[in-house]
Amino acid sequence: MLRLGIANLVVAMLACAEGFTFVIGSPVASQQFQFKAATFVFRTEGCGDAGTAQVSATAEGVLKGERQSVVLKVMPGSKPGVYAVFQSWPAEGQWIVNLKGTCGNAHAGAIVPMGPKGFIRESAKFFPHPATESEVETALKPLITGAKK
Amino acid sequence: MFGRHIRHQVAGLLDGELPLAERKRIEDHLAVCGLCRAEREQVRAGMSMLKHLPPAQAPDTIWNAIEAAWPERQQRSGAWFRQGFRPWFLAYAALVMVAAAGIAYWTRVHHHERQWEVVKIQVSAGGDKEPIRKVAGVGPGDWIETDAASSARIRVGQIGSVDVGPNARLRVVATSPLEHRLTLERGEIHAKISAPPKLFFVETASATAEDLGCEYSLKTDVQGLGVLQVTLGWVSFQWKGIESLVPAGASCRTRPHAGPGVPYFDDAPEELRNALENLSGERSFDTILRVARVRDTLTLWHLLARAGVSDRVRIYDRMAALTPVPADVSREKVLELDAKTLTRWKEALAWTW
Repeated sequence: MLRLGIANLVVAMLACAEGFTFVIGSPVASQQFQFKAATFVFRTEGCGDAGTAQVSATAEGVLKGERQSVVLKVMPGSKPGVYAVFQSWPAEGQWIVNLKGTCGNAHAGAIVPMGPKGFIRESAKFFPHPATESEVETALKPLITGAKK
Repeated sequence: MFGRHIRHQVAGLLDGELPLAERKRIEDHLAVCGLCRAEREQVRAGMSMLKHLPPAQAPDTIWNAIEAAWPERQQRSGAWFRQGFRPWFLAYAALVMVAAAGIAYWTRVHHHERQWEVVKIQVSAGGDKEPIRKVAGVGPGDWIETDAASSARIRVGQIGSVDVGPNARLRVVATSPLEHRLTLERGEIHAKISAPPKLFFVETASATAEDLGCEYSLKTDVQGLGVLQVTLGWVSFQWKGIESLVPAGASCRTRPHAGPGVPYFDDAPEELRNALENLSGERSFDTILRVARVRDTLTLWHLLARAGVSDRVRIYDRMAALTPVPADVSREKVLELDAKTLTRWKEALAWTW
């Protein structure tokens, strides 16, 4: 009976986290005035209880030809599952923000490229896993190439 | 809608002393009441400041004042009062001092919050590179006017600043902690506000810009022909029951006797922007629906409430084709212009704006 209960619980947790992913938006999407100067905001989707999701972010970039990584502080919003990312990486160079999230056993990842006018929504990539090193490098390449032109 | 204000419960809320149900009721009220939100922010700021007040030594003269205030007790207790109860007396005096210091600090801070200050920048006749600067305090009823060669910066209490361009004329209407308001008669301003929403207002002849936590430029002529351009956050642009919600990256025109128009993103297709200029034209509407991108659902969402029933159906269908409609937003309710449903849809759409 106990096993059945645990099995049901596991199935329920997996079902809750089905399709766990990130949605990104401009700061106005958060409807929170404290986030108006954020670089972008994001929310989790597909996590039964959004408040239980664990999220983190790093900025990955190339500055003066050198590969750099900056751990970012993700600010939680007043609504569960909504977060803001403020720029704390250098203004120079080429950068992407690498988002990672877990909800129960489910994982989500996203790569959000940065341009001169802020985040580039159209080039953002979403994964059902944390982005791999090669996925990060692949996302950085066009930015570096574009900057050289 | 707003129920009773919760001014007296704010301190308890911030101290975490209220029971859950009471806290929930107050938080619900705060979600819809700008006045109470502003009150909460003030109390929070005051409490934070009081925490950082340094302990102060009571001046000797305070004893005279306290003793004079308690003549009966002094007569009754005599020397006993002075010696036996001195520790209590000291504690009481310290309390009085802290309270007095707190009140003095509050008064100073609140006075500072109310204070508007203008820095006038005028290029000298000789064309010197360094402008002439004049600083002056302004209050309700004061006019600020710039000529072709001057501009000004107004410090709006402690909530932000307003840059006034050349050839502008504006009047300060209110400078209280709960409402900072000015009337822009003509010219252009750039406002940068870092306070909770609904504390800063700019009136023009045809619309009022209500700050929802933002940074924006507003230009108008005397008749009220103008344009609002938002660079950060949201602005509510209103006139006689018409409201346009303008997010960062978008603009909204306003016209005399018509009020704010439909907002559009600054990077919207030119065809769409031109069509908005002439909305009454039959083809304009078709053009807008045809060229609208996902992001232009901002424009389409505002058009819903301003279109006739048949056009509303077309707008809804176009919006639904551009981006999935959330499960809790029913077509029927949208077409009925149900306020709750429209707000819910706007909040979902904002993730694409």
